[in-house]
Amino acid sequence: MSIKIALAGNPNSGKTTMFNNLTGNRQYVGNWPGVTVEKKEGQLKGADDVIIQDLPGIYSLSPYTLEEVVTRNYLINEHPDVILNIVDGSNIERNLYLTTQLMELGLPVVIALNMIDVVRKNGDSINLKKLGQALGCEVIETSALRGEGSREAALRAAQLAKANQKQEHPHVFSGTVEHALAHIEEAISGKVEKDHHRWYTIKLFERDEKVKEQLKLDAATLNRIEQTIASCEEELDDDAESIITNERYTYISKLVQSCVTKSRKKGDLSTSDKIDRVVTNRILGLPIFAVVMFIVYYISVTTVGDIVTGFTNDTLFGEWIQGGLGGWLEGINTAPWLTGLIVDGIVGGVGAVLGFVPQMLILFFLLALLEDCGYMARIAFVMDRLFRRFGLSGKSFIPMLIGTGCGVPGIMASRTIENERDRRMTIITTTFIPCGAKMPIVALIAGAVFGGAWWVAPSAYFIGMAAIVISGLILKKTKRFAGDAAPFVMELPAYHWPSASNVLRSTWERGWSFIKRAGTIILLSSIVIWFLSNFGMTDGTFGMVEDMNTSILASIGNVIAPVFAPLGFGTWQSSVATFMGLVAKEGVVSAFGVLFGVAGEAMELVEDGAFGELTTIASHFTALGGFSFLIFNLLCAPCFAAIGAIRREMNNAGWTWFAIAYQCGFAYAISLIVYQLGMLFTAGQLGVGTVCALLVLAALLYLLFRKPPKGVSSNQSAVRATM
Amino acid sequence: MMPITMATIGEANFIKKITGKDNVRQHLAELGFVVGESVTIVSSLGGNLILNVKDSRIALDKDMAMRIMI
Repeated sequence: MSIKIALAGNPNSGKTTMFNNLTGNRQYVGNWPGVTVEKKEGQLKGADDVIIQDLPGIYSLSPYTLEEVVTRNYLINEHPDVILNIVDGSNIERNLYLTTQLMELGLPVVIALNMIDVVRKNGDSINLKKLGQALGCEVIETSALRGEGSREAALRAAQLAKANQKQEHPHVFSGTVEHALAHIEEAISGKVEKDHHRWYTIKLFERDEKVKEQLKLDAATLNRIEQTIASCEEELDDDAESIITNERYTYISKLVQSCVTKSRKKGDLSTSDKIDRVVTNRILGLPIFAVVMFIVYYISVTTVGDIVTGFTNDTLFGEWIQGGLGGWLEGINTAPWLTGLIVDGIVGGVGAVLGFVPQMLILFFLLALLEDCGYMARIAFVMDRLFRRFGLSGKSFIPMLIGTGCGVPGIMASRTIENERDRRMTIITTTFIPCGAKMPIVALIAGAVFGGAWWVAPSAYFIGMAAIVISGLILKKTKRFAGDAAPFVMELPAYHWPSASNVLRSTWERGWSFIKRAGTIILLSSIVIWFLSNFGMTDGTFGMVEDMNTSILASIGNVIAPVFAPLGFGTWQSSVATFMGLVAKEGVVSAFGVLFGVAGEAMELVEDGAFGELTTIASHFTALGGFSFLIFNLLCAPCFAAIGAIRREMNNAGWTWFAIAYQCGFAYAISLIVYQLGMLFTAGQLGVGTVCALLVLAALLYLLFRKPPKGVSSNQSAVRATM
Repeated sequence: MMPITMATIGEANFIKKITGKDNVRQHLAELGFVVGESVTIVSSLGGNLILNVKDSRIALDKDMAMRIMI
């Protein structure tokens, strides 16, 4: 029979690192049923019969946040065999608060006293034996970051589960409270599972709504319990929940005083705090952040990234794979259409995406470094003040930062935002920031239409950021998103040297979500597009066509083109390219190459800066039309992979459609305004389009500056759910 | 009694009271902000604070920080 160990602990206690330590690569990642809280499970290395269940990082077992509810439902209903409680030794008081609650569940508990290396370095010492005796469970020293002790702790937990020994729960509460608890215990005797008796008793004392609902006690019993609580509250002159909280802390303080010897005086600054003095400083905070970001992008885009990308695109895919494969296929007399499909359709299409992988990995590696050392959490703090002005919190900034690489992991990073409203708003707006795959479009328009003007690329980022700000302000005033931004409460981990395995794992996970789509959706659509653009009706017969103007794709494009005419790019090629952008944004560039009959690979020409070759593309655009095309493609619905990520994270079809509709509608509105008003000012052209544009602009300004709807005050229950 | 936002950076203070609705107070308590506990401002940025309490650093926006009275 297999043994299930549940891993529980505070956020930042090193739980994830320990989970990775224990399970290695044998992990199964999914979601808890019905919610977008990540569920991770794995097998203990070298012990197939031991399963480790990672639980969300939480501060307590109160019923307020999704993570807390998921955790306690799991522990109560699924009966894991043992709990391995990870306690950050360098922050032992706060961490033991959760421990005292876990001990009440009636499940065997083993404590992994983690970050013991930090404790030692600080010159502190913890008396394990004394601590274990008081709490009634075994305490094992670990340092997950260095891989020390984790395995012993897990094996000890497994042993304990097998022995199935009853543990005493610690004596946390005062006589008055215990007296009241005894009364409640008596009242619910026989109505709850015996193992969880203590837990239910305390939760009822705290008036936990979720537990009350679950137990369905009769009115008489509830009344009796309420009287008991009321008389205890009167005696101690406080509300029940606070009584329990305070007594837990009082108990823990005493325990820590007797078991922990600290070398540092209370209030003295630790090294981490000294760093924070500088890094989150009022004056230096933003400049330091700007410099760090500049270095990250300089390395991943300009220097190292550029070299690696050039190699993968030109040499690896261009010469070796595409060239070699083409020659080989010709050598064995493959039909020309099949060679075309494989070499140009599949390898060309998929290769264009994979070419971004090295650059993406470098960016994700650097971001993972910032994340693991603790700086990323400070960025959220530094940016919070700014983001609060337009209805988002500082935590929304991290998804957007990652979104500059690829929108898929960016959208997934929105999970750290607990408030549902903030999270949804972040998911909708994250892909406005130009991702790595949108940069070729920017480069193409800048090079082919604007003769390589320097301001086009920065303007793309500016447009993306402006779109986020405007959307934040507009959406906040709609009923769906009304109310103040959720309070910003975030624990900042102590700064530490990043661990190689954590950084590499995170880099790989994010990179993989990008690579995966190349193998699936892009592979399929490359084949479809190649077929649609190479086949069509000529002289009444269906077959392969020489001239792409007669292909099926051209017919489809011609139907759609009028929709984009008011935006200044109503050619069928532009319409098709925009739709190809849904498959993968860089597909816009390759589509142009194929559709406008550019000699050679359009993507390579853009990379090499050979814009002279791209005049055929330029001739189809006016400057204003080109810019409008760029804006539309930057802001409209992201690629299918990112839409998939939106659907997963929204976990709701209605919200997913809302997000896509909003993005497309917003993109259309902005492009229309820019093109039509641009035409009015540059060419003095006035028409129906101009009037429409002015109306849209007026509507946009109204939405932006109107008063928030009445009757919607800040929603307090939402506020609590945030934390 | 005054809100922690008015305290000097780096100076240890004791929490006298925490105001606000039950669930907000409860959450602050879970993070270690309880009456009688010592709290120090590590850094302040436009009213948002990083506070040191029970050996951990918690970042709070101004509205939340105003609830902690010293």
